[in-house]
Amino acid sequence: MNISWDYILESLKSGLQYFPNTLKLVMIPTFLGLIIGTIIAFVQTFKIPVIGKLSRVLITLYRGIPIVVALMIYNLLFTLKFEAVARFFRLNISIADVDQIIVGIFALTLMSICLMTESIRGGLIAIDNGQFEAGYSIGLTRMQTLRRIIIPQLIPISIPPLTNNVIGIIKGSSITMAIGITEVLAGALIPGSKSYSFLEGYIAAAVIYWMFTVILEQLSKYLELRGKNFKRSLV
Amino acid sequence: MTDIFSWNRFFDNIPKILPYLSVTVKIVLFATVFGIILGIITAIIRINKIPVLNQIMGIYISFMRGTPMLVQMMLVYYGLPVILEGLFQWNINRWDKVLFVYITFALNQGAFLSEIFRSAILSVPSGQSEAGYSVGMTRIQTFKNIVLPQAVRVALPGFGTDFIGLFQNTSLAFLIGVVDVMGRAKTIGTATKHVIEAYIFIALLFTVVSIVMQLGFFSADKKLNYKNEVSV
Repeated sequence: MNISWDYILESLKSGLQYFPNTLKLVMIPTFLGLIIGTIIAFVQTFKIPVIGKLSRVLITLYRGIPIVVALMIYNLLFTLKFEAVARFFRLNISIADVDQIIVGIFALTLMSICLMTESIRGGLIAIDNGQFEAGYSIGLTRMQTLRRIIIPQLIPISIPPLTNNVIGIIKGSSITMAIGITEVLAGALIPGSKSYSFLEGYIAAAVIYWMFTVILEQLSKYLELRGKNFKRSLV
Repeated sequence: MTDIFSWNRFFDNIPKILPYLSVTVKIVLFATVFGIILGIITAIIRINKIPVLNQIMGIYISFMRGTPMLVQMMLVYYGLPVILEGLFQWNINRWDKVLFVYITFALNQGAFLSEIFRSAILSVPSGQSEAGYSVGMTRIQTFKNIVLPQAVRVALPGFGTDFIGLFQNTSLAFLIGVVDVMGRAKTIGTATKHVIEAYIFIALLFTVVSIVMQLGFFSADKKLNYKNEVSV
């Protein structure tokens, strides 16, 4: 048995065709996770009563659940309960009208919120308390201090962990294949189901994912350097 | 279809699923032991910049970090038999599926741990090694007595995160047909048509084990962190 280049090429093409789905599965959770995660991280750092503690406990608990298990549970609930929920809200849609990709996006978004919160909280801890105090002492409000002093420092610190999170989400997106979403991995395997060239399909998928993450890593390195330049020019 | 979740089925499932945690534990132990060995070898190659091997290991680490676990597992599952048959005429179609999982996770851990070890060893200031040489220690003595104890402390938090991630990733093994906790849940699902209780129990199980491990690493970290006490 030999590895055939033709099959790899065919799988590459087929996998890339579904790249937009993977992008959707990565971009939407990253974006939502970044916004919600930042808010939660600030809530936790400012020790806002009840919500701060509660979110901390919830995130610690949720982080213990592997993404496959979470996906399986959401997928089951989705298939079993979707119609009932839609009827409850008087929505005239059936499960066939809804793309299953939203289950994947939902699961990955929750995962992304947890990851992003932890990273941004870590970044906030790394910023010296004196920076807040300096802002307050010259009469800035809390929001002004955040916007003008804290967030510009937070961005360069957070870039490396955020890149790691995005890579984690990319890897997680491949698991959505298990609930029947056609993204890069499932797409790369489509030619294999006719010719039994599964190995070639997986090689093609690995190549696509590898390129995607290597490009992201390079981008993050570039951004990190730029962030540092900006810091240096201030001094 | 009347009720999705029932506590009766939930408690019935516990004795059916719990024994299969041993499969997961075996994967974790095997991957950690071989991952540490592989990680140390890789870290040594990378730190000493041994030509050729250094570049190969760089590609290996980049690949392991850049591709999803699921893809790596499938590549080993479908690729290893092809490679071994092509090179040595070995037929490993009869191998237990869990062996492929062991190999994948060991290779994956080797890459991730080598990066943790490498950065931990490099984080020890070179003055420490020089101090060791200046009092007449050999390279190995210096590494063992001076660099390693400091590096272990730096590596521990990263190792802990990685270990918990590994534990959670093992739940992917059922996708190639290994019967671990998830595989067992699936068979329960096909037998009884009720699988949500099994999945929720597994989610709880993983959460509890992860948190216990987190606490364990946290206390180990505190114990090893004697730096503050000394300097005060």
